Amino acid sequence: MTFNAAALLLLIAGLALIGWIAGRARSNLLAARAQAKLHSRPQYHGWYVALWLFAPAALFLAVWSAVSPGLITNDVLASEAAKDLPAFGFERGAILSDARNVAQGKQDAVRIPAAAPLVAPYADATHLYAWIGIGAMLALALAGGLYAFTRIKPDFRARTRVEKIVMLVLLLASLVAILTTFGIVLSLLFESIRFFRLVSPAELLFGTNWAPTSGAPQDDTFGGIPLFWGTILIGAIIAMIVAIPIGMMTAVYLTQYAAPRVRRWVKPLLEILAGVPTVVYGYFAALTVAPALREFAVMLGIPNASTESALAAGIVMGVMIIPFVSSMADDSINAVPQAMRDGSLALGATPNETIRQVLIPAALPGVMGGILLAVSRAIGETMIVVMAAGLSANMTANPFASVTTVTAQIVKLLTGDQEFDSAKTLAAFALGLVLFVVTLLLNIVALRIVKKYREAYE
Amino acid sequence: MTQDDLTISDPKMTAHNVNVFYGEKQAINDVSIDVGTELVTAFIGPSGCGKSTFLRSLNRMNDTVAGAKVTGHIALDGEDIYAPSMDVVQLRARVGMVFQKPNPFPKSIYDNVAYGPRIHGLAPNKSDLDGIVEKALMRAGLWDEVKDRLGESGTALSGGQQQRLCIARAIAVDPEVILMDEPCSALDPIATAKIEELIHELRGKFAIVIVTHNMQQAARVSQRTAFFHLGTLVEYGKTTDIFTNPKQERTKDYITGRYG
Amino acid sequence: MSRTTSPTDWKGGAMQARIAKRYAAERRFRLLGLLAVLASGAFLAFLLFVMVGNGLRGFTYTNVAVPIDFKAMPLTVDASRLGDADADQVIAGAGLADIVAFAADEALGDGGSAMISENAWKEVRTAIKADPELLQGSTVFHLPASSEVDIAAKDGGKGATGAKVDALERDGKLSTGIHWPFFRNADATDPAVAGIWGALKGSVLTIFIAFLIAFPTGVLAALYLEEYAPKNRWTDLIEVSINNLAAVPSIIFGLLALAVFINWFGICQASALVGGLTLALMTMPVIVIASRNAIKAVPPSIRDAALGVGASPVQVVFHHVLPLALPGILTGTIIGMARALGETAPLLLIGMRAFIGDVPGGICSPATVLPMQIFLWSDEVDRGFVEKTSAAIIVLLIVLLSMNALAIYLRNKFEKRW
Repeated sequence: MTFNAAALLLLIAGLALIGWIAGRARSNLLAARAQAKLHSRPQYHGWYVALWLFAPAALFLAVWSAVSPGLITNDVLASEAAKDLPAFGFERGAILSDARNVAQGKQDAVRIPAAAPLVAPYADATHLYAWIGIGAMLALALAGGLYAFTRIKPDFRARTRVEKIVMLVLLLASLVAILTTFGIVLSLLFESIRFFRLVSPAELLFGTNWAPTSGAPQDDTFGGIPLFWGTILIGAIIAMIVAIPIGMMTAVYLTQYAAPRVRRWVKPLLEILAGVPTVVYGYFAALTVAPALREFAVMLGIPNASTESALAAGIVMGVMIIPFVSSMADDSINAVPQAMRDGSLALGATPNETIRQVLIPAALPGVMGGILLAVSRAIGETMIVVMAAGLSANMTANPFASVTTVTAQIVKLLTGDQEFDSAKTLAAFALGLVLFVVTLLLNIVALRIVKKYREAYE
Repeated sequence: MTQDDLTISDPKMTAHNVNVFYGEKQAINDVSIDVGTELVTAFIGPSGCGKSTFLRSLNRMNDTVAGAKVTGHIALDGEDIYAPSMDVVQLRARVGMVFQKPNPFPKSIYDNVAYGPRIHGLAPNKSDLDGIVEKALMRAGLWDEVKDRLGESGTALSGGQQQRLCIARAIAVDPEVILMDEPCSALDPIATAKIEELIHELRGKFAIVIVTHNMQQAARVSQRTAFFHLGTLVEYGKTTDIFTNPKQERTKDYITGRYG
Repeated sequence: MSRTTSPTDWKGGAMQARIAKRYAAERRFRLLGLLAVLASGAFLAFLLFVMVGNGLRGFTYTNVAVPIDFKAMPLTVDASRLGDADADQVIAGAGLADIVAFAADEALGDGGSAMISENAWKEVRTAIKADPELLQGSTVFHLPASSEVDIAAKDGGKGATGAKVDALERDGKLSTGIHWPFFRNADATDPAVAGIWGALKGSVLTIFIAFLIAFPTGVLAALYLEEYAPKNRWTDLIEVSINNLAAVPSIIFGLLALAVFINWFGICQASALVGGLTLALMTMPVIVIASRNAIKAVPPSIRDAALGVGASPVQVVFHHVLPLALPGILTGTIIGMARALGETAPLLLIGMRAFIGDVPGGICSPATVLPMQIFLWSDEVDRGFVEKTSAAIIVLLIVLLSMNALAIYLRNKFEKRW
């Protein structure tokens, strides 16, 4: 007998269904007997019973699933057979999990002999807690159901009660967003503070030497400037040099010149470009663009040309951002009133004079907001730089050289075989915090600009 | 339609048998009209009668509407404005337009007025441009109000000032004809009076065509009036005649307020 | 003529030259716009061309005909055990690998065993399990070639192995067929047997979990914010949170998941469950924003009508507003899910980049996803993986494009103008 949460959830769902039918039937019956009109329609009484039956039991189930493995292990550790276990570490964990797997029928026999004596205590404890859990859950379900069932009367306002619960559920759902934000902030802050106990924030923010894996922990340095520079070079400079002109001109062409038929074809094309996963862009950058650029650089005689170049990553990232810039610019240009355009054309301006001297200046705040959002997206992009930009922390303005970025380093620091609490893994969270704060500021400023701009023309 | 007492010896613009289509829909049906050089011509009629549409075909602003098509013959100084040889950019410089809602560009007052002369290259140097801007603002009766704040944004002015700025903007390119599409419909009575006064002053320097739904306004500012209804020109004549002695039953009904 | 003729000389030479220059600028500008559109198109075409060019080869594989005579080299296994669960180990233990290698050397000359995949004997094993009679005679097996031979054969016999491959080709020993292991297997170190099925199943499980969590939460949150939420500081905070979460870099969600789900809650690492939870948090804001727009588009007159006949606010929303907004909500959800399906970065941080040689059995067993498989293969040294990577990309793009096409279809079909 093990504790299978999914099956038990189904069981109480089934009970809830029975409760629903019973509650509905009883409300009908009572109404008929008392010859009174029901305040709420019968199904609301059904829902009322079902919810009382289901919700407490499900809540208990969730808590119990989280708590019971710990209780079982405690029981086993308290047993006679656990005396010989190694005190700490990997071996102890392996023995325990081996015994647990056998006891719960996941494997036929123990793989580690030392685990054998623990199987029986494990099985006993598992049974015990499974029965306790199931018993308590059923008791809760029945108690809740009975309570609700006895409250059914013709004038009982079941609908109001059910709707209150519905509203509560809606409120809880919308709180998930806040919870996620808090989760991000707290987890980043928490781990970063632990990092800053080992390394000063000043070193991370202003240090110019990034060498977190020098081999000897005392020689590790965490100077973030090379990473920040690499991130800016790729995301805010090269990618934007590609994305802004092409994206803007695309938007101008689509809104001002293109025939509707052309627009119908080009818009989905841009949507496809936006829908290509970043890992595909990364692969393309590494496989095709980077080697071609390297050959080009060697041809020009540029030193330090690398197959992992800032330029390859930046160009491909720029292409990835084009649809984003063009759709933001499209929206901004469309938001400029038609009267503005007519006013310029009526003075004898050509379309391009109208666009450059009236429409774009008028749309500028919106476009600027869009560009800030695009930068925020570019500096947070990970896969392209991981695959195409490399990991060497160079401070160079040579776009053909290899640079690294914040995101690439986060991935590198967290995918080795480090222990979780080492300075290296904690450094990843500190970098994450920097990235989060910077993108958050960019987003807030950008969204505010865009909102102001929209209001100006409404 | 009646044209018997129409005595325009040298028309600035002539229109013959003009039809305007928006896609399948015909918005203007066989309209012929002459616009006098020193006159203010008013187009009146109930909303949706096509008067604005016709106005927009006089400087080819209908070109900017997808699916719009104009047939017939419209000429400026005897030159067909829909001929392939006609340059639409120059045409619009010669036939200026003022819109229903004031639409100053989000630039400074100075730049708003200087925009046209700049794109057409009318001022060889800065002092010429200053002169053009000043003259245009004076003619538009706005100079005294804004001369100390030419650098402020045009959108910061009041509605009536904005509309006079738009008129100054149109005058600055030295057009021959000014088309006004209900220029006072978004303004309060005082601002409206100022614009009407301005129209009086501009008369004689420019040929002016004004679309209005306000019959008193037509009577006040114009010498010629054309009454449009359902896309056709019902009656065209001296303003005094149209308002005191209309020849057509429909015109009479409209000016006596029977419909509209 | 008229007295009011403008002082400007429009017909003059200088003015005409100026006009010509302005029109030239106009044409240049317009051309620039067209070039910008063409640049995006050309890039997309180039990308697809490279991927399809490389990837189509990844769907086929070269097989080598190797006759194996089990009478000459008997495989001594108890025929009754071939149906057992541990038949694989039994056959392997009886030395089938050596027999196959020997037969290859025999048939293909010296070094013949190097020309077939090191996993080729497993194909023989599968065949024997299906038909034990094979052990009684001699059969010609079409075994997967080694990665090197496969590439040489597809390249038309170039390189060092080219000559040998040409010889095999002339003898009619090579054949090309659809590479079924690619669709059937999980990851492996040998391109001859590496497949995407494990990753595909991992992706399906992960996305399913993400959908189960993000869709109801997102829609309910959108309903609350759009229909019921009072205007106060708390709802402002929720709004700001959602708008910012939608723009937070995806890798931050990976850090969150690592710190919270794995280190605090200890949910099974590298599993579809944890991946799905992470992607759910990432997708939820997208769904909320799309849903709110769809709900906003339902005209207030519908709500007034329902309230007017005595429906409660909850009934109004669930009976009228939600059904009308559903197509828009679904469109946004599909687009959000497609984005989650192509996401790699946050999953890198929760251990899903590990080598997973098995098809995941459940939501808590170690799994990988298709984009991650692409990432892992792109790092492989063996040249055979280049085309496998591109082939996997084709599969991923087909899935994503069909999802997006479905979303666009839904949008066009159900889009209402009130």
